[in-house]
Amino acid sequence: MRNKKLVNYAKFGYLFSIPFILAFCVFTLYPVIYTFIIGFTDLKGAGNTEWHFLPQVGKNLFVNFKDVLTSGSFQKAFKNTVIIWIMNFIPQIGFALLFTAWFTDRRSKVKGQGIFKILFYMPNIITAATLAILFNVMFGYPKGPVNDILIGVSKFFGVERKAYNFNANEWPVKIIIAFIQFYQWYGHTMVNLIAGVIGISPEVFEAAEIDGANRVQTFFLVTIPCIRQIMLFVLVTSLIGGLNMFDVPQLYIGTNANNAGLTTNMYIRNQAFSGSYLYNRAAAASVILFIVIVVLSSVLFYILRDKDEAKLKKLRKQELRAARKGL
Amino acid sequence: MKKVIASALSVAMVAAIAAGCTTPTPTDAPDGTTAAGSDVVETTAGGDGETEATEATSGAVETTIGTGSEVINLWTFTEEVPGMVQYYVNNIDPDFGTKYTVKCTYINGAENYQPAVDAALVAGGDSAPDLYCAEADYILKYTQGDMSRFAATYKSLGIDVDSKISAAEIAQYTVDIGSRDGEVVALGYQATGGAMIYRASIAEEVFGSSEPADIEAIVGAGSGNWDKFWEAAATLKEKGYSVVSGSGDMWNVCKNAGQPWIVDGNLTIAPEREAFLDIAKKLKDEDLSNNAPGWDTAWYNDMMGVGDRGVFCFFGPAWLINYVMVRDGQKAAGEGTFGDWRVCTPPVGFFWGGTWLMAREGTTKAEGVAKIIEWVTLDTSETGLQYLWANDKMGNNAKDTVASAVVMAKSDGSLEFCGGQNIFPTFIAGNSNASGKGMTQYDATINNYFTDAANQYAEGNLDRDAALETFKANVSDNLSF
Repeated sequence: MRNKKLVNYAKFGYLFSIPFILAFCVFTLYPVIYTFIIGFTDLKGAGNTEWHFLPQVGKNLFVNFKDVLTSGSFQKAFKNTVIIWIMNFIPQIGFALLFTAWFTDRRSKVKGQGIFKILFYMPNIITAATLAILFNVMFGYPKGPVNDILIGVSKFFGVERKAYNFNANEWPVKIIIAFIQFYQWYGHTMVNLIAGVIGISPEVFEAAEIDGANRVQTFFLVTIPCIRQIMLFVLVTSLIGGLNMFDVPQLYIGTNANNAGLTTNMYIRNQAFSGSYLYNRAAAASVILFIVIVVLSSVLFYILRDKDEAKLKKLRKQELRAARKGL
Repeated sequence: MKKVIASALSVAMVAAIAAGCTTPTPTDAPDGTTAAGSDVVETTAGGDGETEATEATSGAVETTIGTGSEVINLWTFTEEVPGMVQYYVNNIDPDFGTKYTVKCTYINGAENYQPAVDAALVAGGDSAPDLYCAEADYILKYTQGDMSRFAATYKSLGIDVDSKISAAEIAQYTVDIGSRDGEVVALGYQATGGAMIYRASIAEEVFGSSEPADIEAIVGAGSGNWDKFWEAAATLKEKGYSVVSGSGDMWNVCKNAGQPWIVDGNLTIAPEREAFLDIAKKLKDEDLSNNAPGWDTAWYNDMMGVGDRGVFCFFGPAWLINYVMVRDGQKAAGEGTFGDWRVCTPPVGFFWGGTWLMAREGTTKAEGVAKIIEWVTLDTSETGLQYLWANDKMGNNAKDTVASAVVMAKSDGSLEFCGGQNIFPTFIAGNSNASGKGMTQYDATINNYFTDAANQYAEGNLDRDAALETFKANVSDNLSF
C-alpha cells in the first residue's frame, strides 16, 4: 500500500523564502556590492552616475583608501568612536550585569521587578534624536538647566560661578555622548542578559548552593560562564552598534567643538553630503569600517568560543582519520 | 475570551491597512490647509547658525492650498512662501486656486532641507518640486553650482525678465546671484542689506543721545573698521552693558565680505573673515558680550531685554526686526523693548540672508509657476507681493525691505517697534553692500567649520594658528579643497 503521507514539503520552504531573497538581493546585496565597487572609482558630484575606475583616469587604484586613512578627520573620528564606545560600554555592561544579578537572585525576590524592568527599558524606546537634542539644550551655554543649577548651587555656597560651556569642550562632549548611549542601552542589555540567565537549568544553581557557594561566587563562577552565548551576542551587537554610532553625536553636537564628537559614520556622511558629494571617498571609508568590524567581531568570536567543544571536534576528526587509515 | 481578543486585534490591523489605502481627494481642503503632524523641537545646535532657523524637525510638514486638478509642488524651508501663496489664492486670484493645487513641503533647517530637495530634484517625476526656494547661505549651489542644471530660466517660463527687472529696479545683487550664465533663473523678493539696530534707552543713558546721527558718529558708521566701535564697547562695559549679544552677531557682518572662500579651486581666507577670529576672542576675553549663540534662548532674551546684561545693539537686515525681534512678549506697545529700538548705518556694511524662488527645468505647470513667481518677485503694483510685504498689508505685522526699489520708494517704513522711525532709508543704503561676489556654494559647510574654529579659539581650547590649521584640515578632509 502506497504511503500517501510521504509528501516532500521542502519545496514549500524554498518557495516561501523567495520574496525575502529577492528583496534582499535588490535592496541590500546590490547596494553593498555597488558601494564596494565605487570605493575604487572617481564618482563624485550631486546626482552623478557616471564613474570610471581609477586606473582608467591615471590614478592608483587605492588612492581613495589612502586619502581616507591619512586624513586627520578620519583618524580623529575613529579614535573618538573607540573612546566613546568604551566609555559607554563599560558602565552599560556593568549595570546590566548588576541588575541581572539582583533580578535573577534565587534567594531574594525583589518586589516590583516588572515595573523596574519596564522603567529600565524605557530609555531605549525614546528616539535617539529626542535625547540628543534634549541634552544639547540641557547643557546649553550661557543659559541652560545644568548651568542654571550649577550657578544656583554655587551661589548657595557663596561662590560666584560663571556658566561653563559644556558643548564646546572636548571631554564634556565625549562624556555626555557616552552617557546618552549608556542611558539608552543598559536596559536593553539587561533584558537580554536576564533572558540568558533564566535559560540556565536550576540544577546547576542547586549544586552550587549545596557546594556552599555564596552569592558573589555563584554569579561569577556559575552564572556568567553559563550565559556565554548570550554574552557573545551582547558583545558583538554592542560592538557593531558602537562602531556605527551616528544619530546621537550627529544631533547632539555635529561637527562642532572641534570634532570632539565626530564618529566614523559621521565622517562618512560628511564626505558624501556636506557639499562636495565625494561618494568615492565615503564608499572607501565604509569599506574600511566594514573590515574593522569584521576583524573585531572575529576576535570576539574566537575569544568566546566554546573551548571544550572545539577540543571534542578535533578529537573526533582525528579518530575518523585514524579509522579511515586503519581500514 | 482569548479568541475574541485575538480576532478583534486582527480585524483592527486589517482595518488599519485598509484605511491607509484611501487616496486623499482634493476637496479635503477647500481653501484652508491640512497639516501633517511633525515634531518641532527647538535646538541650539552648538555654535553660531547662520541659517534663519536651526530648529530641527523629525520630518517635513505638508500643507495644501487650492482645489484645482493640476498639482504644483512647492518646496521651502519656512512658512513664508506658502503664506504668500495662500494670500494670493485668497485675495488676488481665486481662479488660480480652482485651477491648481499647490502642495507645499516645508522642511526646517538647512542641513535637513538641502539633502531633501536635492534628492527630490534628482529623482524627478510627479513629486519633484515645480517651485522651490533657497536661502542666501546656499543659493549659489542652486543657481550656479552643482544643482543649477535643475533650475529653469525665467524666460522659458514666459516671464519677460529683462524689461520687468529694469522696470521694477530690482536690486542688482539679487539678479547677479540668481543668474546662471547671464540668464535669470532665480530672484529674491527681499533686499537684505544690514544696519545696526540699537536700544535708544541704553544709548541715552551711556552716550547721552539716541539720535541715529549721533550714534553713527560714536561707533564710526561707514568707516569700514571696528576701532571706534570697540571704544564704544568699552564705555558700555563700564556702565554695565554688553555691546552685542554674542560673537555670532558680528560674524553675520564679516561673513559675506571680501573674496569668496574658494578661489580657483583653493581655499582662501579673506582678511575680513580672518579678523573674526580676533573679534570673537576679544568679545570673550574682555567680557564685552553675553556669549549667546544666535537663535538661542539667551539671544532672544537679549532682544527682549531680559538677558544677563542689557545688550546695546544687534546687526541685521529688516527681517531681523520684523520676524525675530518682534516676538511674543513684545508685540505691542509697553511690552518688553517695544518702541525702544532705532536703526543706523553700521561700522562695516553687510547683507545677510534672503530667499530666492526657482522653477524646475521641465516642469509641466510652467504657467502657474510663472504666475506665482511674477507676483512675488516682479510685480510692483499695489497688489503685488512686494508692496504688500513692505507696507504690512499681509497681516503679519511687519514692514520688510523688498528687492524692488520702485516699491520701496512708494512705501512707508515707519515702524512703531522702532519708535516711529522710518527704517527704510538706512536699510536701502545698506543694500549697496550686498553682493554675491563673496559667496560660494559650499558656504554653509565652510562657515560652520570656521565659526567653530573661532569659538574654540575664543574659549581658549586652541591658539590662533591651531584654530586656522584645524579649519583648513576640516575643509580639506570633507570638501577636498
